[in-house]
Formats: sequence, structure tokens, C-alpha cells
Amino acid sequence: MRMNILLHELRAYRKSTIIWTISLIMVAALFMSFYPSFTKDTEEFRKLLEGYPAALREAFGINLDNFFSILGFYCYGLSFVTLCGAIQAMNLGTGIISKEVREKTADFLLTKPVTRAAILTNKLLAAFISIIVTNIFYITAAILLAYQVATENFDVGIFLLLSLTVLFIQLIFLGLGIIVSVIFQKIKSVLTVSLATVFAFYFLGMFSSTSGDEAKRYLSPFKYFDTAYIMEHSNYETPFLITSALFIILAIGISYFIYGKKDIHTV
Amino acid sequence: MNIFLKELKSHRKSLIFWSIGIFLMVTSGMVKYESLSSSGQPMNEMLAGMPKSLLAVLGIGEFDISTASGYYGLLYIYLLLMATIHSAMLGATIIAKEERDKTTEFLFVKPVSRNGAILAKLAAAFVNILILNIVTFVSSLVLVGKYSNGEVVTGDIAITMAGMFILQLLFMVIGSSLAAVKRKSKTAASFAAVILLLTYLISVVIDLNEGIEGLKYLTPFKYFEAKNIMFGGGLEFIYVLLSGGWIAVLTAVTFIFYKKRDLNV
Repeated sequence: MRMNILLHELRAYRKSTIIWTISLIMVAALFMSFYPSFTKDTEEFRKLLEGYPAALREAFGINLDNFFSILGFYCYGLSFVTLCGAIQAMNLGTGIISKEVREKTADFLLTKPVTRAAILTNKLLAAFISIIVTNIFYITAAILLAYQVATENFDVGIFLLLSLTVLFIQLIFLGLGIIVSVIFQKIKSVLTVSLATVFAFYFLGMFSSTSGDEAKRYLSPFKYFDTAYIMEHSNYETPFLITSALFIILAIGISYFIYGKKDIHTV
Repeated sequence: MNIFLKELKSHRKSLIFWSIGIFLMVTSGMVKYESLSSSGQPMNEMLAGMPKSLLAVLGIGEFDISTASGYYGLLYIYLLLMATIHSAMLGATIIAKEERDKTTEFLFVKPVSRNGAILAKLAAAFVNILILNIVTFVSSLVLVGKYSNGEVVTGDIAITMAGMFILQLLFMVIGSSLAAVKRKSKTAASFAAVILLLTYLISVVIDLNEGIEGLKYLTPFKYFEAKNIMFGGGLEFIYVLLSGGWIAVLTAVTFIFYKKRDLNV
């Protein structure tokens, strides 16, 4: 029985996982395909920049080695990939519980001989697998793409680190989605909720943080993984990693707690 | 009339949330402008030398971000994104929700024609997007005015809001026509979102590469760009005509296809 829920969910997610994976790869491919013309465009400017005092460049956060490299350019496209990935994860998370209520199948499911915790575990597992699969295919494709367009050698390790931020942000939004899903069970339109939430955080990240303002970065998950920092140190920033992990664990823990007690409306 | 009022009421809460969201968006943008503008001048000099594609990567575009109105121009595309997401979702769900909530039978046993129901629903959606537009307009006016140091911004903001309203209408009827045409109308909202994100992405890559400038007719996000319509540019006739045409066609599609629709009950 337990297996059944997992398999059923996986089957239900199959099509959307394939579509999302393809879309993420397409977005990355779209941006990568402009790298050659971008390098040509910026050649002159790069020389110009080298003439500027280092302090001024520093103020801009422009690191010459990184900024114009394939990795730097990849970061730009990556921000859109992350945005799409976050929508996918938030969709999955928000749909987990609310779809049973919306499609009036909650009492059908809960009359089966499984505990609520087991249901949630299976559903979570299915969403998790869907996200992992998406990432495996995405990262493989992204590396291949990068090799295609790169004009000079790049560090695959850093490329991996950068790409993995998509996975982390997806997990955060999956957690957020689940919380939303168990608290507001009567969500009518999952997509509206997830689009609005994800974009809200995206904009929040964009406009609330100015460089040097660390505290505000905690407000938006999109700011947890600073690509410039990753490129420079080949590592993530520990406080933000901890925050992400804590948030995900808390979100899942609270969801089990609430879902275990919640009144489920029958049809 | 009852359907109209019912729809207004059921979307009231979400409209309030969206209004708050868009207000916060303008606020946070302008607060960031304040911190940016106090950081000094060498910036513009440096920006002037940058190639277009690099400016796009940096997210600055072709604005003079040392003035409040220039910064607002930068902010505008995000306001546009928010407003169009709202209207696309609204257009799709306002039609599709009867089938999703299994209330189609309840609705159509009432003495109301399908055209009448769709008309009332679209009118309600229209009022919603109009209100969101006005909220955006007023928040922008007040907040940009606050930071503009006497620079007159009313006209520039008004013209961007006019552009935004046309695009809101366009995405609303994209949503509603999809909900009317698609056999599984539940998926209309996702499909509308895909169209929206795709056209947005196209507009982003057009900035990256001037070679594909010709694609600009394909993406509504290129129709009324702040850098073209503000500072005395005005709405371009060709784009107004193009979006007007699309709106008319898609509205017609919504009515015609919904009328013939095999409703899932």
C-alpha cells in the first residue's frame, strides 16, 4: 500500500517532470547560445574596464576573471533557470496535499489503511524524486552545453556548485510549498499561489538587497547562494547553507505536525 | 449582474493581496534607488561605456539610473511582469473554475446564456485588472514623486500605466481564450503561464543579441518598453494596433469557443 502511493504520485508527476526538465534545459541552452556573441561584444569593454582602478571595479562587484567568463555568463542565465526551478518545486509542494482536497479525493485516500504520516512521507518522497531527476538531467545537459560554447577552459567543479544551487533553492521552495499546502488546504489554483509566491521572493531578493547588506539577504532564498562568492571561493556561504537546511527541516517537521492533526473535510 | 457581483466578490481577497504586493514592490524598488543614488556619480560614467548586452546582463538596460524616473523605468518591467501574471491567471481561472469546482451544472441551469455568463465574468476580470492598474499607478506616482526631487514624473508614469493596461488586457484574454479552447480547461492557467514566461524570456534574449531584433513583434513585453515610451516617446501606433487586434481576436475566440464547448461535468 505504501509503495502504491509513491508509485501513483510518481506517475502523476511524470509528465510535468519531463516538461519542466526540458524547459529548464531549454532556458539554459537559450542563454548559452548567446555566449559567443556576448564575448565578442564585451571584448572592447573588458579592455576599457582593465583601465579602471581596482577599487571602482570592486565597488561594482565586477571580478574581471569571472565576470566575462563562461561561468559568469552562465550565472546570468542561471538566475532564470533558478526562477523556473523554484516555480516547479513550489508547484509540487503546494499541490501535495491541496490536490486531494481540491479533487475531493482526500477521504478516499484517508480511508485506506495508511497513516497520515505515511501518506505525507510518500508524497514528499515522490516530489523529492521528481526534483532530483530534474536536476540530474539539467546539470548533465548544462555541462554539455557549456563545453559546446566555452571558448576557454573552465572549472567544472565550480560549474557544478553553481548548478547545484538550483537544487537547493528548489528544496527550499518545496518546503515552503508544503507548509502552505497543509495550512491552507483549500487552495483552488496551485499555480496562482506558487507563481505569486515565487515571484514575490524573486523581486524581494532583487530589490531589498544592496551589496554589503547581509541581514536582508536572509529574506529571500534567491539571495542565499551568491554566485560571485561561489566563483571566488569555490564554496557556499555556511550561514546561508545552515539557514536553508534549517528551513527545510522545520518546514517538513511542521507539515507532519499540522497534517497529523488537521480536520479533513469530506465531500 | 449576479454573476458579475459574485465574481467580484470571490476575487476580492486575491486582488487585495496583489495590490499590497505591487505596492511593496514599488516601495522596495524606490528604497533601493535611494540607497543607490546616495552612493555617488562615477557609476553613470562607467555605465556609458558598456555594450548593450552587458547592460542587459547587469539588469540595467538603457536607463539613467541616477534619476528617479530612470530608475522607475528599470522597475517597470517587473511591475509589468507582476500585473500580467495576475491578469493571465485571472483570465484563465475565472473561466475554468466552474469546471474545476464542478459548479458548471449549477451555473448553467440558471436562466443565463453562456455568452451572458462569459460577458459577466470578463467584465469582472476587467474591473479587477483596472483596479490593480490604478493601485500601481497611484503607488508609483506617490513613491517616485517622493524621491524625484521635483522632477515631473506624472506624464511618464501615466504613459507606462497605459501600456501596462493594454498588456494586462492582452494576457487576460490569452488566459480566457485558452480556458475556453482547451478541452481540459484546468490546464489553461499553466499554459498561460508558459506563454507568459516564454515571451518574457524572448524579450530578455532580444536584449542580449541585437541580431534577433525582428522577434520583437512576437513578445508583448517588447511592445511598450519603458525606455521607448517614457521621456516623450509615447506608445507606438503599430504596437497598439497589434495588441488591440490580438485582444479583439482572443475575446472573440473566448466567446465562440465557450459557446460550443462540451462542458465537463
